[in-house]
Amino acid sequence: MSNSATQMLVTATSEFLRRFPPFDRMEAEAMQYLCERLKLAYYAKDTPIVTPDMGVLQHFYIVQRGKVLARGRGEVGVIDYSTMSLSPGEAFPIGSVTAQRPSTNTYTAVEDVFCYELPVDDYFALMRMSPTFNAFCTQYIASLLGQSRQQLQAEFAQRAAEQQTMNSPLSSIIKKEPVFARPETSLREVIGIMAAGHIGSIIIVDDEQRPTGIFTQSDVLKRVVLPGVALEAPIAAVMSPDPHTLPVASTAYDAVLAMALYGIRHVLAVDEGGRLKGVVSERDLFALQRVGLRQIRQSIETAPDIGLLCQAAKDVRQLALNMLAQGVGAEQLTQFISALNDTLTRRVIQLNLDRHDLYGIDWAWLSFGSEGRDEQTFSTDQDNGLLFICTDIMDREQTQLRLLDFARDVNADLDRVGFPLCRGNIMASNPELCLTLEEWEEKFLGWIRTPDPKALLNASIFFDFRPLFGQFHLAHRLRLTLLKATQDNRLFLRMMAQNALSVLPPLGRIRDFVTDADIEHPGTIDLKKFGARLFVDAARVFALSSGVAATNTAQRLRLSGAALKVSSDESAGVVEGFNFIQLLRLRHQNFELEHGRAGDNRLDPDQLNEVERRILKEAFRQARKLQQRLKLDYQT
Amino acid sequence: MSWLSRLFSSRKSAAQLDLAEAQQQALAAWRALPAPDLTRPHYQTRYIVVDVESSGLDMNHDRLISIGAVAVVNGVIDFQDVFETILRQDEVSTTDNILIHGIGGSAQRAGIDPPDALLAFLNYCAKAPLVAYHSVFDQTMIERALQRYLGVALQATWIDLAWVMPDLFRERIDAQVSLDNWLELFAIENIQRHNAVSDALATAMLLQAAISRGGGRGAKTPASFVDTEKSRRWMRRYG
Repeated sequence: MSNSATQMLVTATSEFLRRFPPFDRMEAEAMQYLCERLKLAYYAKDTPIVTPDMGVLQHFYIVQRGKVLARGRGEVGVIDYSTMSLSPGEAFPIGSVTAQRPSTNTYTAVEDVFCYELPVDDYFALMRMSPTFNAFCTQYIASLLGQSRQQLQAEFAQRAAEQQTMNSPLSSIIKKEPVFARPETSLREVIGIMAAGHIGSIIIVDDEQRPTGIFTQSDVLKRVVLPGVALEAPIAAVMSPDPHTLPVASTAYDAVLAMALYGIRHVLAVDEGGRLKGVVSERDLFALQRVGLRQIRQSIETAPDIGLLCQAAKDVRQLALNMLAQGVGAEQLTQFISALNDTLTRRVIQLNLDRHDLYGIDWAWLSFGSEGRDEQTFSTDQDNGLLFICTDIMDREQTQLRLLDFARDVNADLDRVGFPLCRGNIMASNPELCLTLEEWEEKFLGWIRTPDPKALLNASIFFDFRPLFGQFHLAHRLRLTLLKATQDNRLFLRMMAQNALSVLPPLGRIRDFVTDADIEHPGTIDLKKFGARLFVDAARVFALSSGVAATNTAQRLRLSGAALKVSSDESAGVVEGFNFIQLLRLRHQNFELEHGRAGDNRLDPDQLNEVERRILKEAFRQARKLQQRLKLDYQT
Repeated sequence: MSWLSRLFSSRKSAAQLDLAEAQQQALAAWRALPAPDLTRPHYQTRYIVVDVESSGLDMNHDRLISIGAVAVVNGVIDFQDVFETILRQDEVSTTDNILIHGIGGSAQRAGIDPPDALLAFLNYCAKAPLVAYHSVFDQTMIERALQRYLGVALQATWIDLAWVMPDLFRERIDAQVSLDNWLELFAIENIQRHNAVSDALATAMLLQAAISRGGGRGAKTPASFVDTEKSRRWMRRYG
């Protein structure tokens, strides 16, 4: 109608959309095309915008104002976001519109919502016109949110490319022609072949070369020698029939899974006709990883000196990287790193016990902070202390001196192995942190009685303690004292809650993220301070208030969530948010370490791809949700 | 004596106005349009949301400078279906006034010949119900200009959202407040305050909310909005 008025509104719309990806990068011509064709509609709070029964969609939607909630119907995915909220600038439902099928999700306005609507024909025209928009939509569909892990995986798979990964097909793992025999072959002959070829197993096949059984070295003892079976008997009499087979196109991962599932050591690869193509043994699969979990553990546990432990510590990182590449989730990964670091620390302690006589003392080595929570990342310094029992007050000084001597050596050795000394001197060799059970209890209760800022900071480090070596029950007694003192202590919990709320998720009102919180590092987000900590601090308050003894954040959230009657879906959402941030931290630290820098936590969100940005945003929203709950519970 | 001449000129009828042939035809075509059916649902109605800028706030003496209008058709706003016109002014409004709406002196002088501008507006609106926030002002300014330049009595149905909104959203604001209060409540961003099109768009977005809410509360038609407004006004006066 009126050109000037239309152009003004089109320009305003374009300026609005330019604040958000992918529109911020979209070609000017495509942008003009899009904005000229958008219409604006309103949806009242709680009104559905798109539902599965609307059939094939006529419009593509972009949120202009307000929030839209997407709810899936039994969505399957690695990270299962059953619900997801969309903010201004976010578009939906990309997958369904592109595929010209009804939406699988229900999109509902959770506030007053204004939506731009683009007719589908124009949507497809835009896809053809704009490479940026096209890439955005295709990428979105390819990954369909929540499957971010696969993206990370792909990236790491490249870096770990020199090694074979669990995604390799069996055909690439099989190196040797399979050795096989007919069912009627005599035992003597079969064992002869095995001995001559130094073969651990032999496959029994029928006339079509289809496997009918397997016979291994260990079967010789159990099935032949002990029962006294004659060597002239046919092999069919003693073989294990119906061996487990997999198509030759299956992956190493499938084989590992089958072995774990059926408790077997060999999987036979067969072609389409079921004919034997090769044998994959447990050992073949372990060889896939330059370093295997079991080997590392073994080498740590048997390391005769600190020098060899240093090598093992390096292997831990390499293995962690491999696992990252294979798509192991952050929760398992950080726990795994913690577990191996525990093993390392234990070995360091053991080696030092040879040189220090602690006979007659009941003691426990405690770890604090992230190690105490089983949440270690690649860059981690020492946070530890000692707890001991002293029955006679006169002995206290002497006992502490003996323990401090021991602790100094352990701290120094841990430093050599790769856990730098703690700058804040949170170490067992600090006399303040090498205390009797009563002293620890008094320390904790003191902080709880007078929750000044210093005490709250201490609480956030030391209350996440976990025993690593020695008399674990001492640590459990300390835990009971702590929980008893905090569980119904509203005042203290409220102070803790306030402390946890002092840092807010870095979600921007206009931009996606607030990246200028740190003046020295503009454009970045500290994922520890403004990410992981939001979850960790809130989870601690919930755990202390509901008597949950766990120190791990994910566990705390799940267990206290159950105690506080939070739906398990909701808890799971929060945990996924936390895990995603941890995953980004791990990846970032790994990248920094590979480039010879100290692994920090500062992430530049512009470096993330679109999907990751969206998920990070969702993760921060989960943090905000958690904080809101805290706020509500403690009226702060 | 400009006010006096204006007073007299506003009484002229179309015949006395010396309209060109084409202008008279356009006017006749508009007159021939059927009156709108106000009992059809919102989602089958074409509403025209208008906002005017003038040389001041005196409804009797100040002049109409521009009209912005946004159509809400079947509940949806289409940026292709919007209207704006600036009426040519022989006498430019004061600097203070210009600072409000941002239509400068040269833009005012370069505007469209008022009869043509108004005919374009009539052509855009047809006989659709007109919506505004504090509509008395918009209505008076537009009706006066139509009378003066085209000799037309508009006789359109006007709906004032300043009355309708508090009735529909009592739980939020149950009073006569300014447009900005409502915009803030719905987080509607006014692109350029005091630009007629921008204000009309913001008001049109409010109308979308009103339509949606009204549909769930028995106010399903333009006629029901008219009734709502009437009873609110009545209540205010006598209640």
